[in-house]
Amino acid sequence: MSEEAPRQDLVRRRSLADAWWSLVAIAVAMLFFFPIYWAVSTSLRRPADTFTVSGVGIPWVHFTPTLDNWLLEMSQPESFRAFTNSTVISLSAVTIALLLGLPAAYALARFKFFRVPNKDITVWFLSQRVLPPVATAVPFFIAFSTLELLDTRLALIVCTATFILPFVVVIVRQTFFDLPIELEEAALVDGASYLSAFLRVAVPLAMPAIAAAALIMFAFSWNEYLFAVILTIKGAATMPVHIAGGADTRGVQFWFVAVRSLIAMIPPVLLALLAQRYIVRGLTLGAVKG
Amino acid sequence: MASVRIANVWKYYGKTVAVKDLNIDCPDGQFLSVLGPSGCGKSSTLRMLAGLEHISAGDIYFGERRVNDLPPKARDIAMVFENYALYPHKTVFENIANPLRLRGTDGATIERKVRAAAKMLEIEHLLDRKPVELSGGQKQRTAIGRAIVREPQLFLFDEPIAHLDAKLRAHMRGELKLMQRRLGTTMIYVTHDQLEAMSMADRIAVMHEGVLQQFGTPQEIYNQPVNEWVAGFVGEPPMNFLDVEVVDEDGRLCLVHPGFRVAVTAAQQALLRQRLSGREARMGIRPDEVRIATATFPGALEARVRVSEPLGGDMLVDAELAGSRLLVKTRPDFTGGMGAPCWVAFDVERWHLFEKPSGVAYF
Repeated sequence: MSEEAPRQDLVRRRSLADAWWSLVAIAVAMLFFFPIYWAVSTSLRRPADTFTVSGVGIPWVHFTPTLDNWLLEMSQPESFRAFTNSTVISLSAVTIALLLGLPAAYALARFKFFRVPNKDITVWFLSQRVLPPVATAVPFFIAFSTLELLDTRLALIVCTATFILPFVVVIVRQTFFDLPIELEEAALVDGASYLSAFLRVAVPLAMPAIAAAALIMFAFSWNEYLFAVILTIKGAATMPVHIAGGADTRGVQFWFVAVRSLIAMIPPVLLALLAQRYIVRGLTLGAVKG
Repeated sequence: MASVRIANVWKYYGKTVAVKDLNIDCPDGQFLSVLGPSGCGKSSTLRMLAGLEHISAGDIYFGERRVNDLPPKARDIAMVFENYALYPHKTVFENIANPLRLRGTDGATIERKVRAAAKMLEIEHLLDRKPVELSGGQKQRTAIGRAIVREPQLFLFDEPIAHLDAKLRAHMRGELKLMQRRLGTTMIYVTHDQLEAMSMADRIAVMHEGVLQQFGTPQEIYNQPVNEWVAGFVGEPPMNFLDVEVVDEDGRLCLVHPGFRVAVTAAQQALLRQRLSGREARMGIRPDEVRIATATFPGALEARVRVSEPLGGDMLVDAELAGSRLLVKTRPDFTGGMGAPCWVAFDVERWHLFEKPSGVAYF
């Protein structure tokens, strides 16, 4: 019995600690979710109610919810165009970055370059993310203007791809580096070419990291605002530009901003849920490699 | 099937020399073991044979064909890696089938060959599993399956059973030897375990610090080591070495140690007369070539038991002979306890003498 007592004490202390940390977690989560909640609440109010509701704006309690803002937003062709532009631009930029970045990452991990050492090349890739993006705004503008590509999706695709390329190179390079090289050597001996050892062995095994990198790159592309606003006028405007367009001469139309922000959130969230599965499956795969 | 010829091969990593002027001839269908401690260049040699490592200098021939510049896939080889290198994202079946798939074999043939290989290796029931669900022995069998399924002209095995437990290792030694004999494919087997090399190989190449020390049959390596290093590396328990002086006593050469003065045989004397370079030398004798008893006998030298280790079938006695340690393998009924006096005698036909300091064998 005397031996049991301290253990019970320990259990109680632990469950107390768990409760405390749960409270902290809930508090932090509420802090993060409040803007989203506020956007939902605002999107369901009539424009006149934007600033006039009492309390924390709980639907049915503090105001009568309406879908008018959503229906109006959906009926505008600009909304649909912005959503399509964002989707096409982000997916294309991520695809280009993966097509160029994965072989680059693999080459940096598996081959030794002599004229410019691997480390320098890697640091050069990293340095692209250190540079303030706005520094390249004018050159990009002039370049695309000369090519008559202003206000086209292509301009934004090319431009965004150059920004996100370093993510995939730096993240996946390390993963390739950590893979046991014998797996690729076994493939070479089995009769694979270097390309097929890369595509059939290294890439599948690096999938978790590739998925993570793709997700980060997609989020970056999706949220990119600076270049979208500089290089587009209307035709190729993306969601962030469209959201910012909620502010006009009559002031900020918070109800539209709320609706557009919520719509803009959907694809990254869906993608994250999808990629999460991949990442988890990849992690269990990774456990085998030893 | 092919013979393998390694001609004056060197391997550098930057300024480090991993393999120095290596020459090995392996006839078609033989089981060749490359034996040496870690860092001796044996794995580099294997990797050069596989085409995974660039050859710094020299040539490698499979049969009459120089393979230096051929990529691994053009060499018609199969390799088993130390960590098995199974593809974790593929099933056992797909792992074994991979070399066939990469060569565009048709589905029915793949099915038949994979099943045949799996049957031979007794892993038929595991074909649908992923490598993560396999034990070490099963992973190793899968790796071997992947190697044999294509019927290559050369097998390269890199310490394939080093990570198995002792019992399974002993079992696999027999299995691998049997498999190689049955398939008749030339095999190059790299190991640091002299027992594996001795028990399986037709020929052994002993390497140390990038240099081929000795190339011969297991019997030659064991009975006529060319230098002190090979003598000490091969054999378990290891050979005893004692510092001796070679003294001419009225035309008869004797080995003189603080604990003994024993004349060499006539044949040994003839060899010594040709080559003897100085008085100092190292005498080597294997633990099972020393006779030990608790009572004196003719020709016996007095020693003392430091400790004795019963091994079941044998007894290992760690004795002290005039300040030198002497390991003796004897019958399990030896009764000398710790610190007890004992008497030893060498089988002079079987002892070895090495030049000092080069370590080259006189006999």
